[in-house]
Amino acid sequence: MIRVRLTAQLKDLAKGAREVELDSAVDLGTMVQKLDRSFPGLGGRIVDDQGRLREHVNVFVNSENSRELGREKTKLRDGDVVHILPAVSGG
Amino acid sequence: MALLVGTRKGAFVFTSSRDRKAWKVSGPHLKGNEIYHMAYDGRSGAILASIVSGHWGPTVARSEDMGDTWKESSTPPKFPKGSGLSVARLWQIKPGAENEPGVVYVGVEPACLFRSEDGGKSWRVNEALLNHKTRKKWQPGGGGLCLHTILVNGKRPGRIHIGISAVGTLRTDDGGDTWRFQNKNVLVGYQPEKYPEYGQCVHKLAINPATPDVIYHQNHFGVYRSDDAGENWIDIRNNLPSRFGFPMAADANDPKRAYVAPLEGDFSRIPSDGHFAVWGTDNRGKEWFKLDGGLPAKSYYTVLRDGMVADAEDPCGLYFGTTTGQLFASRDQGTHWERITDSLPPILSVSVSAT
Repeated sequence: MIRVRLTAQLKDLAKGAREVELDSAVDLGTMVQKLDRSFPGLGGRIVDDQGRLREHVNVFVNSENSRELGREKTKLRDGDVVHILPAVSGG
Repeated sequence: MALLVGTRKGAFVFTSSRDRKAWKVSGPHLKGNEIYHMAYDGRSGAILASIVSGHWGPTVARSEDMGDTWKESSTPPKFPKGSGLSVARLWQIKPGAENEPGVVYVGVEPACLFRSEDGGKSWRVNEALLNHKTRKKWQPGGGGLCLHTILVNGKRPGRIHIGISAVGTLRTDDGGDTWRFQNKNVLVGYQPEKYPEYGQCVHKLAINPATPDVIYHQNHFGVYRSDDAGENWIDIRNNLPSRFGFPMAADANDPKRAYVAPLEGDFSRIPSDGHFAVWGTDNRGKEWFKLDGGLPAKSYYTVLRDGMVADAEDPCGLYFGTTTGQLFASRDQGTHWERITDSLPPILSVSVSAT
Protein backbone atom coordinates (compact mmCIF):
# COMPACT_ATOMS: atom_id res chain seq x y z
CA MET A 1 0.00 0.00 0.00
CA ILE A 2 1.25 3.47 -0.90
CA ARG A 3 -0.27 6.51 0.72
CA VAL A 4 -0.31 9.76 -1.26
CA ARG A 5 -0.83 12.97 0.66
CA LEU A 6 -2.09 15.90 -1.37
CA THR A 7 -1.68 19.58 -0.69
CA ALA A 8 -4.89 21.52 -0.11
CA GLN A 9 -4.80 23.09 -3.59
CA LEU A 10 -5.17 19.67 -5.21
CA LYS A 11 -7.87 18.16 -3.05
CA ASP A 12 -10.73 19.43 -5.20
CA LEU A 13 -9.41 17.34 -8.04
CA ALA A 14 -9.40 14.29 -5.72
CA LYS A 15 -13.04 14.74 -4.70
CA GLY A 16 -11.99 16.46 -1.49
CA ALA A 17 -9.53 13.81 -0.31
CA ARG A 18 -6.25 14.92 1.28
CA GLU A 19 -4.92 11.38 1.27
CA VAL A 20 -5.28 8.69 -1.37
CA GLU A 21 -4.25 5.05 -1.05
CA LEU A 22 -2.90 3.04 -3.95
CA ASP A 23 -2.37 -0.71 -3.89
CA SER A 24 0.99 -0.36 -5.57
CA ALA A 25 3.06 1.66 -8.04
CA VAL A 26 6.46 0.80 -9.43
CA ASP A 27 7.64 4.39 -9.45
CA LEU A 28 6.42 7.97 -9.15
CA GLY A 29 5.56 8.23 -12.84
CA THR A 30 3.32 5.18 -12.57
CA MET A 31 1.83 6.55 -9.37
CA VAL A 32 0.86 9.79 -11.14
CA GLN A 33 -0.74 7.84 -13.98
CA LYS A 34 -2.79 5.85 -11.49
CA LEU A 35 -3.84 9.00 -9.69
CA ASP A 36 -4.96 10.51 -12.97
CA ARG A 37 -7.02 7.46 -13.83
CA SER A 38 -8.82 7.70 -10.50
CA PHE A 39 -9.09 11.49 -10.54
CA PRO A 40 -8.97 12.80 -14.13
CA GLY A 41 -6.99 16.02 -14.42
CA LEU A 42 -4.93 15.49 -11.25
CA GLY A 43 -1.92 13.98 -12.99
CA GLY A 44 -1.44 16.98 -15.25
CA ARG A 45 -1.10 19.24 -12.23
CA ILE A 46 1.90 17.21 -11.00
CA VAL A 47 3.71 16.38 -14.24
CA ASP A 48 3.86 18.09 -17.63
CA ASP A 49 2.68 16.70 -20.96
CA GLN A 50 5.77 14.53 -21.28
CA GLY A 51 5.45 13.12 -17.78
CA ARG A 52 8.18 15.28 -16.27
CA LEU A 53 7.74 16.59 -12.76
CA ARG A 54 6.59 20.21 -12.91
CA GLU A 55 9.29 22.72 -12.05
CA HIS A 56 7.49 24.19 -9.05
CA VAL A 57 6.09 20.98 -7.60
CA ASN A 58 7.97 18.89 -5.06
CA VAL A 59 7.22 15.24 -4.48
CA PHE A 60 8.68 13.74 -1.35
CA VAL A 61 8.93 10.00 -0.82
CA ASN A 62 8.77 9.68 2.93
CA SER A 63 11.11 12.55 3.81
CA GLU A 64 13.29 12.51 0.70
CA ASN A 65 12.78 14.97 -2.15
CA SER A 66 12.35 12.94 -5.33
CA ARG A 67 14.50 15.46 -7.20
CA GLU A 68 17.45 14.01 -5.30
CA LEU A 69 16.31 10.46 -5.97
CA GLY A 70 15.15 9.61 -9.46
CA ARG A 71 12.47 12.25 -10.09
CA GLU A 72 9.61 10.52 -11.94
CA LYS A 73 11.58 7.28 -11.97
CA THR A 74 11.96 7.18 -8.21
CA LYS A 75 11.09 3.63 -7.12
CA LEU A 76 8.29 3.11 -4.64
CA ARG A 77 7.89 0.37 -2.08
CA ASP A 78 5.04 -0.93 -0.03
CA GLY A 79 4.46 1.34 2.94
CA ASP A 80 5.90 4.48 1.33
CA VAL A 81 4.20 7.80 2.05
CA VAL A 82 4.33 10.25 -0.85
CA HIS A 83 3.80 13.96 -0.23
CA ILE A 84 2.86 16.21 -3.17
CA LEU A 85 3.59 19.83 -2.30
CA PRO A 86 4.14 23.15 -4.03
CA ALA A 87 7.77 24.23 -4.15
CA VAL A 88 8.45 27.35 -2.09
CA SER A 89 9.22 29.30 -5.27
CA GLY A 90 9.14 32.51 -3.32
CA GLY A 91 10.83 35.81 -3.88
CA MET B 1 -24.60 41.67 -19.49
CA ALA B 2 -21.40 40.29 -18.04
CA LEU B 3 -17.81 41.45 -18.24
CA LEU B 4 -15.35 38.64 -17.69
CA VAL B 5 -12.04 40.01 -16.47
CA GLY B 6 -8.98 37.79 -16.32
CA THR B 7 -6.14 38.97 -14.10
CA ARG B 8 -2.80 37.74 -12.88
CA LYS B 9 -4.43 36.76 -9.60
CA GLY B 10 -7.79 35.33 -10.60
CA ALA B 11 -11.03 36.00 -12.43
CA PHE B 12 -13.59 38.71 -11.79
CA VAL B 13 -17.15 38.78 -13.14
CA PHE B 14 -18.88 42.14 -13.48
CA THR B 15 -22.60 42.07 -14.19
CA SER B 16 -24.98 44.81 -15.21
CA SER B 17 -28.41 45.27 -16.65
CA ARG B 18 -28.45 46.06 -20.35
CA ASP B 19 -28.24 49.79 -19.70
CA ARG B 20 -24.63 49.13 -18.55
CA LYS B 21 -24.76 51.94 -16.01
CA ALA B 22 -23.98 50.08 -12.78
CA TRP B 23 -21.79 47.03 -12.31
CA LYS B 24 -21.74 44.43 -9.55
CA VAL B 25 -18.55 42.44 -9.10
CA SER B 26 -17.82 38.94 -7.90
CA GLY B 27 -14.39 37.44 -7.43
CA PRO B 28 -11.61 36.74 -7.37
CA HIS B 29 -12.57 33.33 -8.66
CA LEU B 30 -9.88 30.74 -9.34
CA LYS B 31 -7.85 32.80 -6.90
CA GLY B 32 -4.13 33.05 -7.49
CA ASN B 33 -4.24 31.72 -11.04
CA GLU B 34 -3.34 33.75 -14.10
CA ILE B 35 -6.46 34.00 -16.25
CA TYR B 36 -5.28 34.61 -19.77
CA HIS B 37 -8.76 34.61 -21.26
CA MET B 38 -12.39 33.82 -20.52
CA ALA B 39 -15.34 33.27 -22.81
CA TYR B 40 -19.06 33.15 -22.28
CA ASP B 41 -20.56 30.27 -24.22
CA GLY B 42 -23.99 31.50 -25.25
CA ARG B 43 -24.99 28.00 -26.36
CA SER B 44 -24.74 26.57 -22.85
CA GLY B 45 -24.60 29.59 -20.55
CA ALA B 46 -21.21 28.47 -19.21
CA ILE B 47 -18.08 30.53 -18.66
CA LEU B 48 -14.83 28.99 -19.86
CA ALA B 49 -11.48 30.14 -18.52
CA SER B 50 -7.89 29.58 -19.65
CA ILE B 51 -5.98 29.33 -16.40
CA VAL B 52 -2.29 29.04 -15.61
CA SER B 53 -0.97 28.22 -12.19
CA GLY B 54 2.65 29.00 -11.46
CA HIS B 55 2.88 25.73 -9.58
CA TRP B 56 0.38 23.38 -11.13
CA GLY B 57 0.54 24.33 -14.81
CA PRO B 58 -2.24 25.23 -17.22
CA THR B 59 -5.76 23.91 -17.55
CA VAL B 60 -9.25 24.96 -18.59
CA ALA B 61 -11.96 25.61 -16.02
CA ARG B 62 -15.69 25.79 -16.62
CA SER B 63 -18.39 27.46 -14.55
CA GLU B 64 -22.10 26.92 -15.04
CA ASP B 65 -23.18 29.44 -12.40
CA MET B 66 -21.48 32.63 -13.60
CA GLY B 67 -18.31 32.01 -11.63
CA ASP B 68 -19.52 30.81 -8.25
CA THR B 69 -18.18 27.28 -8.77
CA TRP B 70 -15.69 25.90 -11.27
CA LYS B 71 -14.71 22.53 -12.60
CA GLU B 72 -11.34 21.86 -14.21
CA SER B 73 -10.97 19.81 -17.39
CA SER B 74 -10.65 16.09 -16.81
CA THR B 75 -8.35 15.83 -19.82
CA PRO B 76 -6.70 19.26 -20.17
CA PRO B 77 -4.91 20.35 -23.34
CA LYS B 78 -1.78 18.23 -23.56
CA PHE B 79 0.70 17.55 -26.31
CA PRO B 80 1.14 13.89 -27.19
CA LYS B 81 3.89 11.88 -25.57
CA GLY B 82 6.93 11.84 -27.79
CA SER B 83 6.27 15.28 -29.26
CA GLY B 84 8.71 16.76 -26.76
CA LEU B 85 6.28 19.62 -26.21
CA SER B 86 4.46 20.63 -23.10
CA VAL B 87 1.72 23.23 -22.82
CA ALA B 88 3.14 26.23 -20.95
CA ARG B 89 0.19 28.62 -21.19
CA LEU B 90 -3.35 28.72 -22.47
CA TRP B 91 -4.35 31.85 -24.37
CA GLN B 92 -7.62 32.64 -26.08
CA ILE B 93 -10.54 30.28 -25.56
CA LYS B 94 -13.44 30.40 -28.03
CA PRO B 95 -16.73 28.55 -28.39
CA GLY B 96 -17.29 26.95 -31.79
CA ALA B 97 -20.08 27.87 -34.17
CA GLU B 98 -23.73 27.94 -33.13
CA ASN B 99 -24.41 24.65 -34.90
CA GLU B 100 -21.52 22.88 -33.12
CA PRO B 101 -22.80 22.53 -29.56
CA GLY B 102 -20.02 21.51 -27.21
CA VAL B 103 -17.20 22.51 -29.55
CA VAL B 104 -14.65 24.84 -27.97
CA TYR B 105 -11.19 25.88 -29.14
CA VAL B 106 -8.22 27.05 -27.12
CA GLY B 107 -4.87 28.38 -28.31
CA VAL B 108 -1.74 27.47 -26.40
CA GLU B 109 1.96 28.18 -26.02
CA PRO B 110 3.99 26.69 -27.65
CA ALA B 111 1.72 27.56 -30.51
CA CYS B 112 -0.97 25.07 -31.29
CA LEU B 113 -4.75 24.73 -31.29
CA PHE B 114 -6.78 22.32 -29.18
CA ARG B 115 -10.42 21.35 -29.71
CA SER B 116 -12.96 20.10 -27.24
CA GLU B 117 -16.23 18.49 -28.25
CA ASP B 118 -17.68 18.26 -24.76
CA GLY B 119 -17.77 21.88 -23.68
CA GLY B 120 -14.18 22.00 -22.45
CA LYS B 121 -13.99 18.86 -20.34
CA SER B 122 -11.54 17.05 -22.61
CA TRP B 123 -9.25 18.30 -25.35
CA ARG B 124 -7.50 17.02 -28.46
CA VAL B 125 -4.55 18.60 -30.23
CA ASN B 126 -4.86 19.82 -33.82
CA GLU B 127 -2.48 17.44 -35.56
CA ALA B 128 -2.15 19.53 -38.71
CA LEU B 129 -0.72 22.46 -36.78
CA LEU B 130 1.34 20.28 -34.49
CA ASN B 131 2.98 18.66 -37.52
CA HIS B 132 3.01 21.72 -39.77
CA LYS B 133 5.95 21.51 -42.16
CA THR B 134 7.23 24.96 -41.21
CA ARG B 135 6.88 24.51 -37.45
CA LYS B 136 10.60 24.13 -36.76
CA LYS B 137 11.19 27.60 -38.19
CA TRP B 138 8.57 29.34 -36.08
CA GLN B 139 9.99 31.99 -33.78
CA PRO B 140 8.37 33.42 -30.66
CA GLY B 141 7.25 37.00 -30.17
CA GLY B 142 7.89 38.89 -26.95
CA GLY B 143 4.98 37.09 -25.29
CA GLY B 144 6.24 33.67 -26.32
CA LEU B 145 5.37 31.41 -29.24
CA CYS B 146 1.67 31.66 -28.57
CA LEU B 147 -1.50 31.02 -30.52
CA HIS B 148 -3.41 33.95 -29.09
CA THR B 149 -6.31 34.59 -31.44
CA ILE B 150 -9.06 32.34 -32.75
CA LEU B 151 -11.80 33.61 -35.05
CA VAL B 152 -14.55 31.14 -35.86
CA ASN B 153 -16.41 32.09 -39.01
CA GLY B 154 -19.98 31.35 -38.01
CA LYS B 155 -21.27 31.57 -41.56
CA ARG B 156 -18.94 29.18 -43.34
CA PRO B 157 -18.63 25.79 -41.66
CA GLY B 158 -15.05 24.72 -41.09
CA ARG B 159 -13.46 28.14 -41.55
CA ILE B 160 -11.29 29.34 -38.67
CA HIS B 161 -8.62 32.04 -38.59
CA ILE B 162 -5.82 31.94 -36.04
CA GLY B 163 -3.07 34.35 -35.07
CA ILE B 164 0.33 33.18 -33.83
CA SER B 165 3.17 35.41 -32.63
CA ALA B 166 5.50 35.68 -34.45
CA VAL B 167 4.33 33.36 -37.17
CA GLY B 168 1.36 35.22 -38.60
CA THR B 169 -2.18 34.49 -39.61
CA LEU B 170 -3.38 31.11 -40.81
CA ARG B 171 -6.75 29.90 -42.05
CA THR B 172 -8.43 26.55 -42.32
CA ASP B 173 -11.51 25.88 -44.43
CA ASP B 174 -11.88 22.25 -43.43
CA GLY B 175 -12.24 22.43 -39.68
CA GLY B 176 -8.51 22.23 -39.02
CA ASP B 177 -7.41 19.36 -41.27
CA THR B 178 -5.25 21.77 -43.28
CA TRP B 179 -3.95 25.29 -42.68
CA ARG B 180 -2.45 27.88 -44.95
CA PHE B 181 -0.70 31.14 -44.23
CA GLN B 182 -2.44 34.40 -44.97
CA ASN B 183 0.09 37.16 -44.59
CA LYS B 184 0.08 38.82 -48.00
CA ASN B 185 1.19 42.49 -47.81
CA VAL B 186 1.90 42.25 -44.06
CA LEU B 187 5.26 43.76 -43.18
CA VAL B 188 7.99 42.08 -41.15
CA GLY B 189 10.26 44.95 -40.19
CA TYR B 190 13.12 43.02 -38.65
CA GLN B 191 14.35 40.77 -41.40
CA PRO B 192 15.81 41.25 -44.85
CA GLU B 193 12.75 39.81 -46.60
CA LYS B 194 10.01 42.26 -45.67
CA TYR B 195 6.98 40.36 -46.95
CA PRO B 196 7.63 36.66 -46.35
CA GLU B 197 5.04 33.90 -46.46
CA TYR B 198 5.14 33.68 -42.66
CA GLY B 199 6.99 35.15 -39.70
CA GLN B 200 4.61 38.07 -39.19
CA CYS B 201 4.07 39.32 -35.67
CA VAL B 202 0.29 39.47 -35.51
CA HIS B 203 -0.85 40.97 -32.21
CA LYS B 204 -4.64 40.67 -32.52
CA LEU B 205 -7.36 39.97 -35.08
CA ALA B 206 -11.01 41.00 -34.78
CA ILE B 207 -14.18 40.51 -36.82
CA ASN B 208 -17.77 41.57 -36.76
CA PRO B 209 -19.70 38.25 -36.68
CA ALA B 210 -22.17 39.57 -39.27
CA THR B 211 -19.38 40.23 -41.79
CA PRO B 212 -16.76 37.62 -40.92
CA ASP B 213 -14.82 38.02 -44.15
CA VAL B 214 -13.79 41.52 -43.02
CA ILE B 215 -10.91 41.15 -40.56
CA TYR B 216 -9.15 43.90 -38.66
CA HIS B 217 -5.54 43.22 -37.70
CA GLN B 218 -3.22 44.93 -35.23
CA ASN B 219 0.31 43.87 -36.03
CA HIS B 220 3.70 44.69 -34.58
CA PHE B 221 4.49 46.64 -37.73
CA GLY B 222 1.14 48.01 -38.78
CA VAL B 223 -2.63 48.06 -38.73
CA TYR B 224 -4.39 46.17 -41.49
CA ARG B 225 -7.77 45.16 -42.85
CA SER B 226 -8.72 42.29 -45.07
CA ASP B 227 -11.95 42.34 -47.07
CA ASP B 228 -11.55 38.83 -48.42
CA ALA B 229 -11.21 36.57 -45.38
CA GLY B 230 -7.49 37.12 -45.01
CA GLU B 231 -6.38 36.59 -48.62
CA ASN B 232 -5.04 40.14 -48.90
CA TRP B 233 -4.26 42.77 -46.30
CA ILE B 234 -4.56 46.53 -46.75
CA ASP B 235 -2.47 48.93 -44.65
CA ILE B 236 -4.94 51.12 -42.73
CA ARG B 237 -2.61 52.88 -40.32
CA ASN B 238 -3.26 56.23 -42.03
CA ASN B 239 -3.46 58.97 -39.36
CA LEU B 240 -2.98 56.75 -36.29
CA PRO B 241 -0.28 58.11 -33.96
CA SER B 242 1.57 54.80 -34.08
CA ARG B 243 1.43 51.61 -36.06
CA PHE B 244 2.20 49.68 -32.87
CA GLY B 245 -0.29 48.36 -30.32
CA PHE B 246 -1.82 45.17 -29.08
CA PRO B 247 -5.62 45.03 -28.84
CA MET B 248 -8.05 45.32 -31.73
CA ALA B 249 -11.83 45.36 -31.37
CA ALA B 250 -14.55 45.30 -34.02
CA ASP B 251 -17.91 46.97 -33.52
CA ALA B 252 -20.57 44.27 -33.59
CA ASN B 253 -23.20 46.63 -34.98
CA ASP B 254 -21.30 48.51 -37.60
CA PRO B 255 -18.74 46.62 -39.69
CA LYS B 256 -17.12 49.92 -40.70
CA ARG B 257 -16.10 50.60 -37.08
CA ALA B 258 -13.03 49.23 -35.34
CA TYR B 259 -10.91 50.25 -32.36
CA VAL B 260 -7.22 50.12 -31.43
CA ALA B 261 -5.06 51.31 -28.54
CA PRO B 262 -1.80 52.62 -30.02
CA LEU B 263 1.46 52.59 -28.11
CA GLU B 264 4.78 54.13 -29.00
CA GLY B 265 6.54 51.35 -30.78
CA ASP B 266 8.24 49.36 -30.16
CA PHE B 267 11.01 49.54 -27.58
CA SER B 268 9.19 51.82 -25.15
CA ARG B 269 5.65 50.46 -25.51
CA ILE B 270 4.01 53.33 -23.66
CA PRO B 271 1.21 55.68 -24.78
CA SER B 272 2.34 58.60 -26.92
CA ASP B 273 2.90 61.82 -24.94
CA GLY B 274 1.95 60.04 -21.71
CA HIS B 275 -1.70 59.97 -22.67
CA PHE B 276 -3.49 56.70 -23.19
CA ALA B 277 -6.34 56.85 -25.70
CA VAL B 278 -8.42 54.45 -27.72
CA TRP B 279 -8.64 55.31 -31.39
CA GLY B 280 -11.58 54.43 -33.58
CA THR B 281 -12.57 54.45 -37.21
CA ASP B 282 -16.02 54.58 -38.77
CA ASN B 283 -14.90 54.07 -42.34
CA ARG B 284 -12.91 50.82 -42.18
CA GLY B 285 -9.66 52.51 -41.31
CA LYS B 286 -9.46 55.30 -43.88
CA GLU B 287 -9.39 57.77 -40.99
CA TRP B 288 -9.01 57.38 -37.26
CA PHE B 289 -10.15 59.59 -34.40
CA LYS B 290 -9.15 59.75 -30.77
CA LEU B 291 -11.62 58.42 -28.22
CA ASP B 292 -10.47 59.70 -24.86
CA GLY B 293 -13.43 61.46 -23.24
CA GLY B 294 -13.20 60.81 -19.53
CA LEU B 295 -9.76 59.20 -19.66
CA PRO B 296 -6.96 60.75 -17.58
CA ALA B 297 -5.01 63.55 -19.22
CA LYS B 298 -1.81 61.81 -18.14
CA SER B 299 -1.62 58.05 -17.99
CA TYR B 300 0.85 55.38 -18.92
CA TYR B 301 -1.74 52.60 -19.14
CA THR B 302 -0.86 49.46 -20.99
CA VAL B 303 -3.63 47.30 -22.42
CA LEU B 304 -2.62 43.78 -23.42
CA ARG B 305 -3.76 42.03 -26.58
CA ASP B 306 -6.91 40.56 -25.01
CA GLY B 307 -7.50 43.55 -22.78
CA MET B 308 -10.04 45.40 -24.94
CA VAL B 309 -13.38 44.22 -26.28
CA ALA B 310 -16.58 45.55 -27.84
CA ASP B 311 -20.06 44.35 -26.91
CA ALA B 312 -23.01 43.65 -29.19
CA GLU B 313 -25.34 46.35 -27.89
CA ASP B 314 -26.52 49.34 -29.92
CA PRO B 315 -24.72 51.68 -29.57
CA CYS B 316 -21.73 49.46 -29.08
CA GLY B 317 -20.08 49.41 -25.67
CA LEU B 318 -16.31 49.25 -25.36
CA TYR B 319 -14.27 48.00 -22.43
CA PHE B 320 -10.60 47.89 -21.60
CA GLY B 321 -8.53 46.72 -18.68
CA THR B 322 -4.97 47.81 -17.90
CA THR B 323 -1.92 46.09 -16.54
CA THR B 324 -2.23 48.39 -13.53
CA GLY B 325 -5.72 47.18 -12.66
CA GLN B 326 -8.03 49.88 -14.06
CA LEU B 327 -11.20 48.76 -15.85
CA PHE B 328 -12.92 51.31 -18.10
CA ALA B 329 -16.23 51.16 -19.95
CA SER B 330 -17.92 53.22 -22.62
CA ARG B 331 -21.59 52.95 -23.58
CA ASP B 332 -21.26 55.11 -26.68
CA GLN B 333 -18.66 53.58 -28.98
CA GLY B 334 -15.76 54.97 -26.99
CA THR B 335 -16.78 58.62 -26.99
CA HIS B 336 -17.12 58.80 -23.20
CA TRP B 337 -15.38 56.54 -20.72
CA GLU B 338 -16.15 55.71 -17.11
CA ARG B 339 -13.86 53.89 -14.74
CA ILE B 340 -15.59 50.84 -13.30
CA THR B 341 -12.71 50.15 -10.90
CA ASP B 342 -9.04 50.96 -10.52
CA SER B 343 -8.13 48.35 -7.98
CA LEU B 344 -7.86 45.01 -9.73
CA PRO B 345 -4.69 42.96 -10.12
CA PRO B 346 -2.94 43.37 -13.49
CA ILE B 347 -5.58 42.69 -16.15
CA LEU B 348 -4.75 40.14 -18.83
CA SER B 349 -8.07 39.91 -20.61
CA VAL B 350 -11.55 41.38 -20.86
CA SER B 351 -14.44 39.52 -22.48
CA VAL B 352 -18.07 40.45 -22.68
CA SER B 353 -21.37 38.81 -23.18
CA ALA B 354 -25.06 39.22 -22.70
CA THR B 355 -26.49 36.81 -20.14
